Amino acid sequence: MTDGGTDGEARTDGGPPATVPPDDETPTWSERKERSQGLAQLTYQYFERSRREDEDLRAESTYVERDVLGFPAWPHETLRNLAITSFFIGIIVLVAAVLPVHFGSPANPGSTPSVILPDWYLYWSFGLLKLNPINPGLEVLGGNILLGNEFLGIIAHGIIFAAITLVPFLNKGSARRPVEQPFWSAVGVTGVVLSFTLAALAIQNFFPIGLDLLFTLTFLLPALGGIITYAVLKTMREGYMYDLNRRYYMLRPPK
Amino acid sequence: MSLKKQDEMDHNAWLKKQDLTAVETVFLTTLIWLDKRLRIVDYLELLETMYYRANLQMPKSHTEQYDLDNKFWYWYPLYSLGSLSIIAYLVAAITGALLGFYYSPSTAGAAAQGDPTAAYDSLVLIMTDVQFGFMLRSIHKWAAQFMTAAVFLHMLRVYFTGSYKEPREVNWVLGVVLIALTLFFGFSGYVLPWKQLSFWAAQIGVEMALATPIIGEWAAQLVFGGFTLGQATLVRMYILHVFVLPFVVTGLIALHVGIVWVQGIAEPH
Ligand code: HEM
Repeated sequence: MTDGGTDGEARTDGGPPATVPPDDETPTWSERKERSQGLAQLTYQYFERSRREDEDLRAESTYVERDVLGFPAWPHETLRNLAITSFFIGIIVLVAAVLPVHFGSPANPGSTPSVILPDWYLYWSFGLLKLNPINPGLEVLGGNILLGNEFLGIIAHGIIFAAITLVPFLNKGSARRPVEQPFWSAVGVTGVVLSFTLAALAIQNFFPIGLDLLFTLTFLLPALGGIITYAVLKTMREGYMYDLNRRYYMLRPPK
Repeated sequence: MSLKKQDEMDHNAWLKKQDLTAVETVFLTTLIWLDKRLRIVDYLELLETMYYRANLQMPKSHTEQYDLDNKFWYWYPLYSLGSLSIIAYLVAAITGALLGFYYSPSTAGAAAQGDPTAAYDSLVLIMTDVQFGFMLRSIHKWAAQFMTAAVFLHMLRVYFTGSYKEPREVNWVLGVVLIALTLFFGFSGYVLPWKQLSFWAAQIGVEMALATPIIGEWAAQLVFGGFTLGQATLVRMYILHVFVLPFVVTGLIALHVGIVWVQGIAEPH
């Protein structure tokens, strides 16, 4: 009998009503905080801190409070996007009408086609499966490769996805525009060019140049792209930052 | 004194006293009808409170702080790429649902190796017999291409505008998951017609899975239904493509956009 029943007999009607604490008996914030232990206690402490910090910041702020302070997703962003997207749907239908899709012959497990290709958006991934020339050989194994070529490709996928995921945790700070961060823009351009060269590697049969050259270019071009980007942005940065800073300082002169 | 019910809760009398247009009357009547049964007013209030909380706590944006909003940021058109992904996704979802009426995920029917299977035949049927079937398939395919392209470009936009920085790291990581799922969405769809290229693309998928140590064989069985391709592979790709991925991707997109809603769009400095 947990529901406040006093008699020890089993009852079929659910017993007398369960005790619900009246409003004035509901524990207050501080009571709850005192009662809690361990992680819950820490949570209460942190919440209080962050609320106090929030209030302090608001009190200090000289800004006029407005209802919406960010660039709101609704309606600004959404409305602007709706105009562009309706145009976009039109384009999809138009392209579908003038470029109907290709349809090949039925699957035949018995005959490998001379060209195996996924859709274009997976070319880069397909290119990663053709990295055997850089698969490290081991002298002790008599030059045998340590990893299967396909496994090497899988590892390469893992590295790429991990690198992309880590970006926000490596690049901190408040810079936003490419000119403000030449290094990271160069990394980005390297990645974009690499995805194209890997795609070219995947469809190597269609390139009239030798495989060795193509392979070299696959890694040389991205590096080149990165270096050029870095140089250009670094050069642009001086003039650009001068303008931007002057603007900022006119509005909020440094103390 | 009349015997009629007459208190301030008599909403109908209140409605009559009001001078309302037809639209307003219908709206209010529906609202009152629903509210009497479901007490939706409580929830509306909750929603409204949430809306204001979410928006009120936005930090002051850089543009406002430095009064830069008169300066046209010429990257802005690229900020619609995320929405374009969603729109293309919706188009693909609608046309895909229609294609589903005619498609059959079966490798049956091939007398000899290389003969058309039921799956292949159902696509031939769609393209030759079904009214607007060819167009439907074209739109589905192209919407998928556009979505993938838009997602790639959206990621580049986010990268080059530095929009992934604090506090938006979570959305970036969510985005990486989304792009992987989008690619897998495309891959699983590519297999469905069971044409030569479908088959051999799937073959490479199986080989990649099998080349992975420890979990490889397990993964091959889970995703491709075995070590050699066949009926099991096709059905798995089908269920992934039309059941599992749609729910997962739609849910994650909702979460992704929900977070954007709460955080606001990152503005360039
Ligand atoms: C199915 C795929 C995706 C959809 C439907 C989608 C949708 C959106 C939408 C509608 C926005 C609002 C701003 C805008 O439109 O640019 C947004 C913002 C964002 N997306 Fe995505 N996205 C997808 C994939 C990705 C990917 C692959 C990444 C990165 C790896 C990513 C990272 C972000 C980030 C960090 C923001 C916040 C940017 C800002 O506040 O300016 N998203 N997304």
